[in-house]
Amino acid sequence: MSRLYDTVEPSVIDDEMLRKAVEEQGPKEEAGKIAKQEGVDYCDVLSLRLDFRNILKVDNLWQFTKLTKLQMDNNIIEKIEGMDALVNLRWLDMSFNNIEMIEGLDKLTKLEDLTLFNNRITRLENMDSLPNLHVLSVGNNKIDQLDNLIYLRRFPNLRTLNLTGNPVCDDQGYKLFAVAYLSHLVYLDFRLIDEDTRQKAHSLYENKLGELMHNEKQAEVAIEAEKKAAQELLKHKDAYVEHLNSPVLFESMYKEDPEGMKLSMLPGLQDMLKDFQDKFVEVCMKIFEFGMKEYEKRCKEMREFNTCIQDAEAANKRQAVAVIDAFEEYKKKLFAELLVTSDAEIQERKMNEYHEGVNETWDKIMGLEMQLVDQLEETIKDFERNMTDLMSQLVEYIQGLITQVRDLENSHNEKLLEMCMTVLEKVVKNEMDEELPDDLRMLFVDKDTIVNAIGASHDVHLMKIDNREDEIVTRSGAWLSGHMQKIHADECARNRARVVEITNYIDHLRDEIDTQFMP
Amino acid sequence: EYPESYKDNTNKEKLILAYVENYRRQYVHLFRDRKPLFLNPLNECGIEKFVCTTLRPTLLSYKALYHWQGCAEFVADYLTMKQLEPPQELPMCLFSPSTILKRQLGNCFDFSNILCSLLLGAGYDAYVVSGYATKEICLADESRQICPLLQPKKEVLKEAEKPEPRKYTVKPPRDLRSKFIIKMEARRKKEAEEEEKKKQQEEEERIAELEKPPPDALYGLRIHAWVLVRGGKREVPEDFFIEPFTGQSYPPSSPSFLGIESVWNSTNYWANMQNCASGCKDMSFDLMDTEKWEYMLAGSDQTQIEIPDAEEELYDLDDDEKENEDEKHLDMPATWVLPICVTKNQYEMRCPQGKKTTLYKKAKLEKYANYLLKDGLVTRLSVYDNNELTDLKRVQESFENREDKLTTRVHQGGLITEDFVEGRPRSLQQHVYKASNPGPEAERTMTFFHKARNKLRVDGLCKREETPTEMTEHFVNRDDFLFLRHVLFGKRQKKVAPATAEGPPRPILKITEKFHRNDALSASKDVEEQIFIIHEDKIQITYHREDPNITASTRDFYKPPNAEEKGGSLQWSNDMTNTFQVNPHGSPAKNLAIYENLLQLIQTEQKSIQAVRSSEEEVKEILMDRQKEELASELAISVYDTERNEKAKKHRKELERLAMEEKLRRQEMEMDYLAPFLAQIGNPDKISKTQAFKLKEDCLADLKQRLIDKANLIQLRFEKETSELHKRQQDYQQKQVAMTKEDEEQYFNYCSEAMFRIHILELRLNRHKQMAPHKYMQLEQKLRQDPRLSVYF
Repeated sequence: MSRLYDTVEPSVIDDEMLRKAVEEQGPKEEAGKIAKQEGVDYCDVLSLRLDFRNILKVDNLWQFTKLTKLQMDNNIIEKIEGMDALVNLRWLDMSFNNIEMIEGLDKLTKLEDLTLFNNRITRLENMDSLPNLHVLSVGNNKIDQLDNLIYLRRFPNLRTLNLTGNPVCDDQGYKLFAVAYLSHLVYLDFRLIDEDTRQKAHSLYENKLGELMHNEKQAEVAIEAEKKAAQELLKHKDAYVEHLNSPVLFESMYKEDPEGMKLSMLPGLQDMLKDFQDKFVEVCMKIFEFGMKEYEKRCKEMREFNTCIQDAEAANKRQAVAVIDAFEEYKKKLFAELLVTSDAEIQERKMNEYHEGVNETWDKIMGLEMQLVDQLEETIKDFERNMTDLMSQLVEYIQGLITQVRDLENSHNEKLLEMCMTVLEKVVKNEMDEELPDDLRMLFVDKDTIVNAIGASHDVHLMKIDNREDEIVTRSGAWLSGHMQKIHADECARNRARVVEITNYIDHLRDEIDTQFMP
Repeated sequence: EYPESYKDNTNKEKLILAYVENYRRQYVHLFRDRKPLFLNPLNECGIEKFVCTTLRPTLLSYKALYHWQGCAEFVADYLTMKQLEPPQELPMCLFSPSTILKRQLGNCFDFSNILCSLLLGAGYDAYVVSGYATKEICLADESRQICPLLQPKKEVLKEAEKPEPRKYTVKPPRDLRSKFIIKMEARRKKEAEEEEKKKQQEEEERIAELEKPPPDALYGLRIHAWVLVRGGKREVPEDFFIEPFTGQSYPPSSPSFLGIESVWNSTNYWANMQNCASGCKDMSFDLMDTEKWEYMLAGSDQTQIEIPDAEEELYDLDDDEKENEDEKHLDMPATWVLPICVTKNQYEMRCPQGKKTTLYKKAKLEKYANYLLKDGLVTRLSVYDNNELTDLKRVQESFENREDKLTTRVHQGGLITEDFVEGRPRSLQQHVYKASNPGPEAERTMTFFHKARNKLRVDGLCKREETPTEMTEHFVNRDDFLFLRHVLFGKRQKKVAPATAEGPPRPILKITEKFHRNDALSASKDVEEQIFIIHEDKIQITYHREDPNITASTRDFYKPPNAEEKGGSLQWSNDMTNTFQVNPHGSPAKNLAIYENLLQLIQTEQKSIQAVRSSEEEVKEILMDRQKEELASELAISVYDTERNEKAKKHRKELERLAMEEKLRRQEMEMDYLAPFLAQIGNPDKISKTQAFKLKEDCLADLKQRLIDKANLIQLRFEKETSELHKRQQDYQQKQVAMTKEDEEQYFNYCSEAMFRIHILELRLNRHKQMAPHKYMQLEQKLRQDPRLSVYF
């Protein structure tokens, strides 16, 4: 029950409270003793109970990263907060508090059981990031709208729902509404939903539900399509030819070109422009297709490289493991022999033999590692060379095509100039048959103005084309160097890890015999 | 004894015999130096019959007889062979298949005749062949042949697909060995191999020389008959021979068959025109080829000479003429033999008396019919080390219909291997054990049925190998990823125990358990191998290797003594464990976790020990079951087997008996309608004419009286009912006003009931009137036909 503030002293979650709770709820007996001796890390605690403690504000829980169960019922908490670190939480109980709003649960994506019984919640909201929700208990709250139930449709795993004691339950159609709209539900308000109710609810809300489902489905399809398009675009971007399969580049040329726009109103230019655009887009399409083809080629090359590297590593690992297994076998036998002999001289000899064996093993596995490093280095070099070739091919070819685009623009420009000259002549001689729009007429005052306008338009167009070219060149170059760097770095890290592992293992072998058989 | 067709020839048969005689004369005239053809031997009644009409294509209703293998095996098993006497002359007689099957005895021609009939019935393109063969074939002597059951199966060599060379495959490390030395080594090896090969070859040749059959004085003269199956029908790819005595197939190139005189089946007869100097190797079996085969009946559709396209037109022109010509051809007369029939019992008995023994090279095969022997044995193959069949090497027994699902048992080298089919409790599949020590705790291997997806046993056990001191169990598809458990047993403590009680279980020294990788856990926490060294109170754990790592983390525990005792908690000290962690930078595990791990391991150890004990128990139980089953050796009888299923048989007999009784009873029940009238005249043995007339008169009069009585009775009732109704109606008319509602209702009820009754009576009366004359006529008819009176009417 909610308590009045002035009657009880509110407390905060502090280290002492946490330590006490962890200790109390931790292991008992001998295990408890050990735990006390070495202390328990908060990050290892799996479940924590902080009930009946008059906590007002949730805080200081950031260390409990592995926590799966948290009970904070019967406190005076007013706001759900400070739990963003508890990403592994599955079970959260905050019943009998003073919470007014559901919030702050966005990071708890693994949550399955949420209890907010007896609070002051008015709406079901802000739970979109909890797809695994199984059990939801929000009884004795202030939820009064049936629409809140529709919000719960997004939880496909929700089986148990408790809403008793909310104003909404007074609604006559509440139960049937809940059953109809939440068809996965098994238990509602502490009761199993029987087949009878289910059917009744279904027949009652069939039409509305059908409509809703239809809408939901459509939304789903739309999202799916969007996702697919985004993926496709990503792929195009990786190929550096995004939007080149559509007239986007062409349109962008005219977008930032006021003169060009004006000029396009010129009578007789429309056809020319159309022709220009068709040719332009055709070349762009060529670039796009080539880019995608090259992209596929690159992907294939990378796949092949990766599988080969993996194969080589796996083969090398097998060899090393065989060496180690053989030595372990030998070690077992030797230890067994050492245990039974008491002759110091034999022991001495065996120990020496063992150490020699350890050295030999070290030689062998280190040798294998060195061999692998050499092999991989060579292969990576090959790969780098091939990739560089591929990239330069791509860039050269695309540059060739872009030159075509530029030529198109140039010839278009010349034609335009010619046309404008004739128009200008006509305008000057007042022989114009058709009326020109005013802003266009403004350009045809003298030769300089029109030439300047056409020149400006041309410059903008060329700049756009140049920019696109530069973008392709720089992006492809950056990707290649980044990718190769990553490969080198990965290989380096792998090698270091392996050497550390080998050294660690060899040290362990040396220690082992000493600790076992040295007096 | 024999039907008419056996004792005489029809006109058509006579005609064909004349035709045959003509053919024979021409043949003898043309080929003076060739042996006579086998054309028209005598049958069992001494009548000449053409060989083609002795065939009768038959398809018997047994599944195995739908394939040539089954047919050949059946004929070879069912009949006892009799060699030709003398071996270089054609027999005088050829009996009908039905006679041969009855006698179960025949020569090669009888065998081939029946086999060919069956094959033709099953749709094969089969022919009887008369020719010459080696002594071994003629005498069905297989002692120089390898038993077909022992012939090594041809393994289909699957070429390992070479991985495609990849672009980035790493280069192998440099080979620093001397090329010259390797070369020399290889050369030396090759030489040694060749030497070995040569020696082996020589040895083989020597053995082959020794095993060669002694020279035969009658080589090439011994007459034999066998069956030719030509390719084309029933998906037979190419021609082959079937030797009827053994049921074996041979390619036409086989050196055992030395020559062919003629072939025939139920449609035609062909004499061979090809040279047989090199056996049947290069012989063509294209019977259409008139150069190579001389046919007897031109009209038979099989011999229709294929007409080249060029001549087709020519034939088209005189189509009518050709048809006329066709009609003139003589076709084969119908067969004279009785249908071939084999009853189920005969079929199942197979060999005469149900037993057959065949000798092969270094092997002896005994066959028994199903259900003949009490333990279900059907074949026993004994393999010997020498040709005299004295040095027994291996015995392979197959069983059929065993209640305990045993299918084969092989004795070899002191080991017994028993195979079972699916369906036993505990899913036992194979059991290998030492013949000298079949008891528990001895060397043995048990294999259990298991499937890739769903295990048949709950514990997923698929194999258990045992020696006196060790036991290894293999598992599949277990939820805890365990796939191997190996147990090392120690020697029993010698104790003075009472002889009757079973000794204490063997002490367990060590249990090793291995696990597959559980992907749900991280590799450093997923146990790969756990070893419980029980006598040292030590537990060794090895974890799985993390993906790129080559070493695995290990952890050893030293248990304080009596750790498994319940009650008192385990005291912890740091020297109880020893850990090697692969990643030196990773944070070491907390003592608390290790302690909990230890507690859990102690429990696991107890469970493992229990599992081992129950395994031992299971072995004992299986052995006990096996012993019991072997003693009982019961055979399973299918519910569909009406002959052997005693219970069903009894039930059926009982039903038959009941039906019979019922019938008898009904017969007794049937009354003699003349009895009272006969009694009136004192039941005379013989009825005189006047008596008969009187009887008839009386009988009919009686019936008439009864019919009238009945009609009167119905009429009376009808009237009574009508008058009653009438009375009530009048009554009602009078008192209608004063009646209570209840009475009124009662009255109406009565009325409707009465009307119903009247209606029924009326119907009955009408019907009676209709039926009465019929009944009268019927009785009269019956009297006329009555055996006692019929003499007079």
